[in-house]
Amino acid sequence: MGAMKLVPTGEMTLGPFFPREFAQGADDLTVVGGRRAPGEPIEITGRVTQLDGRPLDNLVLEIWQADSRGRYEASDFFGWGRTATDASGVYRFRTIRPGAGDGRLAHINFLLLYSGLMRHLQTVMFFQPGKDPVLDAVPAARRPLLVAKREGNAYRFDIRLRGEGETPFFDD
Amino acid sequence: MLPRRDPATQSEGVVAGYAQTASRWPAEPLVRRPQTRAELTGPRRLAERLAPVRGDLAGQGSKRALGQLIHLRARVVDEDGAPVPGAVVEIWHCNAAGKYIHPNDTNDAPADPHFYGAARLVAGDSGLVELRTIKPGAYPVPDPGGWWRPPHIHFSVWGRVWLSRLVTQMFFPGEPLNDADYILNAIRDRAARERCIARMAPTERGPANALIYDYQIVVRGSAATASLA
Repeated sequence: MGAMKLVPTGEMTLGPFFPREFAQGADDLTVVGGRRAPGEPIEITGRVTQLDGRPLDNLVLEIWQADSRGRYEASDFFGWGRTATDASGVYRFRTIRPGAGDGRLAHINFLLLYSGLMRHLQTVMFFQPGKDPVLDAVPAARRPLLVAKREGNAYRFDIRLRGEGETPFFDD
Repeated sequence: MLPRRDPATQSEGVVAGYAQTASRWPAEPLVRRPQTRAELTGPRRLAERLAPVRGDLAGQGSKRALGQLIHLRARVVDEDGAPVPGAVVEIWHCNAAGKYIHPNDTNDAPADPHFYGAARLVAGDSGLVELRTIKPGAYPVPDPGGWWRPPHIHFSVWGRVWLSRLVTQMFFPGEPLNDADYILNAIRDRAARERCIARMAPTERGPANALIYDYQIVVRGSAATASLA
C-alpha cells in the first residue's frame, strides 16, 4: 500500500473561538462510568505562557496516559482528558498517577491547541528524571523542563510556548 | 510506526502576517522522538465521553438560521484511504454575518438567534459525517494588523491513535479571499492547500434547497497502526 498512501490533511490553528462547551467536562479522569478508577488520585496543574511571559487564556490542553499499572487503553481507565486555561493561564486536571510500563517512565502526554498555534504542540510530563526513550531524545540540559514539581498532592507542570525556559516540544 | 509527514504539506509554525504565531510557536527545533505505545494508542470509544450534539445547525421554518443553506458531507479516512468508523468530529463556524457564538468575538456583526455554530458528530461505517448548516460569512480578524478571513469551517477530529489527532479548517471553492489568507497559505504545497478546499457537488433541480459540499479529511495512521503498537 506504500505507494497508495494519502497525505494527511494539513493542520491549522484552533483559532480564538473554539466553543467553550467543548473544552469543559472532561478534566476529571478519576471517575470512569460512575466508578473510581483504581490508583492514586492526583492533581496536575500549571500555567501556560507565551514569549513575553503573558499567561494564555482559553488555551486547550488534551492529555493521554496509561493507568496506574502503566497500561495504555486499559479497560477500567479512560486515560484521555481535556480542559482549557483560565484568564490567569492556569489549567487543572484530576487524574490517576500513571505507572511505568513498556520501557517508559511514568509520564503523561500533552497536546496543546490555541489561536496562533498553526499546528498543535505535543509535549510530555514526567514525574521524575530517569531513563526513557522519549525523555532521552531531548537535549540533556532541557530535560528538567519536562519533570513536574510535586506540591502536596498536586504536580505542577508549567508550559512555556516560546522564550526563556521554553518547554521542549515533539515532532512526530 | 506512522510515517513522518512532509513538512511542505503542513503549516509553517511562524507565519509572516499573523503576528501571534511569533509569540507562540517554539523557537527551539521540535524534538524527534521514537514512537512507543504511548503515541500509537488512543482513546477508544471516545463517543461515550464526547456525546454527539446538534446534528443540524440550520434549523427549520421560523427557526431557520439566516444564510445560504449548505449540506456538508465530510469523510474521515486514514492514510490508506480506508474509512475511520466511529471517528469523533467537532465542527464550529461563524454565522452568515461573520459572528461566532463566543464571548471573545468582538466583531461588530450581528448574532443570529437561530444559529448556534457548534456540532459534534460521530462518523458512520463509511467514515462519513453529514451536517446541515448555513454557509459562514467572511470576517475581519480583530487583532492589530488583522486581515479578512475567507469563509471557513473549523474541524477537530480524532483518528485511530494519539498521533492521528487533527485540528484544521475547511474552505470554500472560488472564494477570492482564499488566496490572501495567512492561515490557508501557511501550507506551502499547493496540492495540499487545495485539499483543504471543499468541492461543491452537483445540486439537483427541484426541491433541494441546500448546496452540497464534499470534503475529505485524512488522519494519520492506518487500520494496522493500533495492532503494531
